[in-house]
Amino acid sequence: MSGGWKRGALGLALVLPPLLVLAFLVILPAITAVVATLTPAPDATSTSRFVNYAEVLGTRILRTDIAFTVVVTLIAVAVVFCLSYPLALYLRFTKTRVAALLGVLFMVPLFVPVVIASFAMITFLVGHGLVSTVLYRLGIVQFPSLVYNATGIVLTQVWVNIPFAVLILGAGLQAIDDSLIEGARDVGAGSLRTFFSVILPLNATSTMITLTLQFIGVFGSFTIPYLVGGNAPQMLGVTMTNYLTQYLRRTESVTMAVIAFIIASVVGVIYVASVSRRERRA
Amino acid sequence: MTRPAWFWGVGALRRAVGIGALLALAAFILGPLATLLVWAFAGTWLFPNLLPEFSLRWWVYVLTNADVSKAIRMSALSAPTATLLSALVCIPAAYAFARLEFPGKRVLLLSFLSANAFPKIGLYVSIATLFYRLNLMDTFTGVVLIQLVNTLLFMIWIPTGTFRGINTNLEEAARDAGAGPLRTFFQITLPIALPGLIVAALFAFIAAFDEAQGSLIVGTPNHITMPVLMYALVLGYPQPVGAVFSVLLSLPSVILLLITQRYLRAGYLAAGYSL
Amino acid sequence: MRRTAWGRAVTVAVGVTLVAFLIGATGPTAGAQNPTTLNVYINGDTNIFDLWNKTLLPAFTKHYPQYRANFVPLLHGEGSQGVFDKILAAKQAGRPTDVDLWETQPSFVAQGAPQGLWVKLTNSLIPNLSRVPAQKLEAEDYYGMPYRGSSVVIAYNSAFVKNPPTTLDDLLAWIKANPGKFTYCDPNTGGSGQAFIVAVVYKFAQMAQYTGSAYDPKAESAWDPAWQLLKSLNSSMYNNGFHPNGNVAVLQLLSQQNVYIAPVWSDMGTDYLKRGLLPKTVRLEQITPPLFGGDSTVTAPLGSAHLEGTFTLLNWLLTPEAQQMVINAVSGYPGVDWKYMPDSVRRQFADVAKPYAPLPNAKYLADILRLWHEQVAGGG
Repeated sequence: MSGGWKRGALGLALVLPPLLVLAFLVILPAITAVVATLTPAPDATSTSRFVNYAEVLGTRILRTDIAFTVVVTLIAVAVVFCLSYPLALYLRFTKTRVAALLGVLFMVPLFVPVVIASFAMITFLVGHGLVSTVLYRLGIVQFPSLVYNATGIVLTQVWVNIPFAVLILGAGLQAIDDSLIEGARDVGAGSLRTFFSVILPLNATSTMITLTLQFIGVFGSFTIPYLVGGNAPQMLGVTMTNYLTQYLRRTESVTMAVIAFIIASVVGVIYVASVSRRERRA
Repeated sequence: MTRPAWFWGVGALRRAVGIGALLALAAFILGPLATLLVWAFAGTWLFPNLLPEFSLRWWVYVLTNADVSKAIRMSALSAPTATLLSALVCIPAAYAFARLEFPGKRVLLLSFLSANAFPKIGLYVSIATLFYRLNLMDTFTGVVLIQLVNTLLFMIWIPTGTFRGINTNLEEAARDAGAGPLRTFFQITLPIALPGLIVAALFAFIAAFDEAQGSLIVGTPNHITMPVLMYALVLGYPQPVGAVFSVLLSLPSVILLLITQRYLRAGYLAAGYSL
Repeated sequence: MRRTAWGRAVTVAVGVTLVAFLIGATGPTAGAQNPTTLNVYINGDTNIFDLWNKTLLPAFTKHYPQYRANFVPLLHGEGSQGVFDKILAAKQAGRPTDVDLWETQPSFVAQGAPQGLWVKLTNSLIPNLSRVPAQKLEAEDYYGMPYRGSSVVIAYNSAFVKNPPTTLDDLLAWIKANPGKFTYCDPNTGGSGQAFIVAVVYKFAQMAQYTGSAYDPKAESAWDPAWQLLKSLNSSMYNNGFHPNGNVAVLQLLSQQNVYIAPVWSDMGTDYLKRGLLPKTVRLEQITPPLFGGDSTVTAPLGSAHLEGTFTLLNWLLTPEAQQMVINAVSGYPGVDWKYMPDSVRRQFADVAKPYAPLPNAKYLADILRLWHEQVAGGG
């Protein structure tokens, strides 16, 4: 059918400009880098093309860093999700002054640059900072450190990511027609039941978008773990930078970059697969 | 325009939940910013005082620093440009992803993830070499291009979702009435999609604005952006100085927030951003 | 009704952006105009930035009005890899680089030398070079010109430390006896932290083996007892062994009296005392064996388009006038031999200008940093 041919060609043509940008500025340099990691160094212990990967994965602290990054990312994404969904639901279904205020409030972190956000969280959470002073005044002198560790990273990532999550989830919720909710009520379903049977499935796409983009964002982040994290273990963004600039180990750094990319890609693939499945069903 | 307000239960419970949530969220979100604000006006602040001795001397120290205004200007010029360019390049592509079928569509859509998923630290020399060959180092265009890369993901995925959610019946009706494809797009599709596109532009802008690692290589020495400068300022100076810088450097963002917050209410987003 | 409101907003936004683009795109571009602009990239902390930006460069351009200087700060070395990549990429693309002068860590100079990135400095290019002691120039193979120096010393708060430790072993014992009152910065982020861990390494391994140009990874097994010792000390550190980010962070801990003893750079410590940023009770001393120190050197990339200007600047840096500025502004040691400085200066520095230990070479230092992270911070 010639109409389909023409539409296909048009589609490709429209997609070309951003693809070209991507190809020249990301894909080509990335391929160059990956090829470099597949070449064993002259003094390597084996001639396998994957010796660099074996070495990186064989180093205990690097395995720890990879695991640490995955765990911290999962926790941060989960916390953001659990805080954002109720907030988005509240904003969707409530129309009071309080809700309007909340509606502006949650947007605030969006406009604060990440470096400043990290700095602000540090002054807030550090020992002898505001939180600690308030707790001290309330008589609580000893409490676990809230900053320069995984807790600090998670709290800062949550702070920074709430607006994005609430916006996307909220937008998806807006699209759910009121009549569907009313319909559920008419059948006698309670709030919780309505949430799980009606809202959650209908809002699945924006849920997936939120989870995917936030996982990738937190996983590869540098600024927040660099300023707020501890000395060890470290998130991969910091580890890779250190290997490149401080330890003078370019190959290890790029090898880790490829590993990080693979992990991030897995999440992306899950998203695309779920979207395809939904579309095929629709 | 009934709202299924019963969703959150009885009125009193809803109000209590609302106020509780507001207070908790306010404390969490505003607390760190408030601390920074107080530090900006602090002479010395010793534990366990809840407030410091106030002083303006760090403002004098900071305001005599000329680099700050240069960097603000560069960021304020490059980030919107990158966002606009991104919109021009990506929105047609997003429409194609949403409405047209072509081979490799899924793979191509996924490939935009790579822009954010592959750590850029492994890419420096290649990008720099390419820019040298194209005479793009230390140019405004070079900085914009680097920022553009960061925006691609948001400008493709979110508009794709937006366009997908627009009912094709509307477009078909316009076609049946005799309107050409371009006219249909600009007069029917675009206005409906606008809220979602604005959200995408917002996130793209923030991504462009926050870009630091690439801008450092490409933009020095004459095109330094705020994030590049901010690292130095926040880490290298005594705490009050970092706080003053933070307040100053957040001002553009706060102004942007005040201007756009009217458009960011979920109600507006609903108009056409159905996924 | 909603649509036109959106439409108007978008039109305004697009219009503003177009204007912004036009302004940005026609703004000043890098390029030589009359006078010649030299791009000076400096890696360090903010006291050094102030030295260059507020003192040295204005004085230089006043002396030589045919030059303008453009100052680029790189904090803690952040972005140094980017600058190196820039210079390397320019060479690979066959173009001049816009970096006319670079003050950076010796590791980058060492990396760039075999790639032919730097100018070899000689007396014919820079007459005043003859005033610099030869071994300082040999340390970087004549690719780096020392213009100031400092060493890491121990700062202690005499209000709380009545008998300051004077040897390394005393200091280690003091740390164990006074838990939570000592710290050092993450060695990746500041030289003061590096100096402390290197001093412990030198305690167990022959210093001379690591400070030349030879490099043998197998020699690093001698460092194991050092890692054990540092690991055991971690629990006695301030904040349970979290090492803060940067030299300045440690100085702030000292000033807020969170710690009583810490390693600091001599010039930063003296500077902070002078400006009242440290309590007056803080004193500086060098211990035995001394912590390391070194000269900060500046390097001229071969690909610079303004080499004549760079050499003029380098030569001027070694004049008595410029060297005196280094002393006054940052309390640094001069790059030229002490005999070229006035008596008053030599007396002023008698306390700290003692000989300092040399830095390990760049490759060993990189491994020290990595192994510290693995064995000490990472729990071994």
